[in-house]
Amino acid sequence: MFKKFTSEEVSGQNQVKASVQRKIRQSVAEEYPGLEPVLDDLLPKKSPLIVAKCPNHLNLVIVNNVPLFFNIRDGPYMPTLRLLHQYPNIMKKFQVDRGAIKFVLSGANIMCPGLTSPGGALDDDVEAESPVAIMAEGKQHALAIGFTKMSAKDIRSINKGIGVDNMHYLNDGLWKMERLD
Amino acid sequence: MAEKPQPLHVVYCGVCGLPPEYCEFGPDFEKCKPWLIQNAPDLYPDLLKEAEAKEADKISGQLQSTSISDGSSASKPEEVKRLPGGKVKKKEKQEIIIEKVTRNKRKCITTVKGLELFGVKLSDASKKLGKKFATGASVVKGPTEKEQIDVQGDIAYDIVDFITETWPDVPEAAIYFIEDGKKVPAV
Repeated sequence: MFKKFTSEEVSGQNQVKASVQRKIRQSVAEEYPGLEPVLDDLLPKKSPLIVAKCPNHLNLVIVNNVPLFFNIRDGPYMPTLRLLHQYPNIMKKFQVDRGAIKFVLSGANIMCPGLTSPGGALDDDVEAESPVAIMAEGKQHALAIGFTKMSAKDIRSINKGIGVDNMHYLNDGLWKMERLD
Repeated sequence: MAEKPQPLHVVYCGVCGLPPEYCEFGPDFEKCKPWLIQNAPDLYPDLLKEAEAKEADKISGQLQSTSISDGSSASKPEEVKRLPGGKVKKKEKQEIIIEKVTRNKRKCITTVKGLELFGVKLSDASKKLGKKFATGASVVKGPTEKEQIDVQGDIAYDIVDFITETWPDVPEAAIYFIEDGKKVPAV
């Protein structure tokens, strides 16, 4: 999704109202309970919160010029990979095998066999349509952020086709956009 | 409340910006190698051996690159920039395009495109232009995501001299007008 994404694609950025700010904080806290203790540091109440609108109903949440979260339409907020690397345990994790890394890093969606093979791992609690961190076999850090198409159980039983949509991966446009002015 | 988790500090490769363990899948593993050897030697044990073998090559390569970079150090980094598809980005032609757009019957706007290619700060430039011609001048996002300067009024002819005087880096030959949809050199 962020394959070709540059700061020029931001069609407008606004400092959002306090009520919207509260809403974002609340939904982030709900989605990622592990992030709650540090939420005050990430989204300080005082400093202005900016939401940048981009094509395809995409919103970026920006604090101090650093993009922290993104969401699509009214979907859940997902952290950027840089943020996830700092707090690796906030998301449910899936792990793909080594063979899949190459494809994921060029933006491919994650297919079921890559998750169910010996190198992969699944978190069984994950339902369909929820954000997950994509880890890789033998690697320490997440390489992508995905949005599940089916639940973990279905991935195991069906074992065919796209299991997780690739939202944001290492070295895509959003990754390269460390700061947005 | 749970204990505050400390943010993890992740080291990113100085060359490609990925976490070092993903360099091998990155856009240019070869270029990352020297950095990896210095900063994360334990991740790729094979590299060290390889590096020793290559040491001799590298020194000669460095000598070459320094001699090349003397001549074209400015243009090199632009060429290296790659599009996500892996294609090499086309180098942008350095030229300034001046266009007169009629806004009303007798009112018009002069747009200046391409100043940023010469390392001119657009916001400064618009201020200077506005001051010189005593009109409004603003930095506007152009049709194709490029930024341009809009100056109110028809200043197309005076602007050439002004540009070459204020920014000596800009050669007069690089300035073009657009007249009736055709590109015409200013000189």
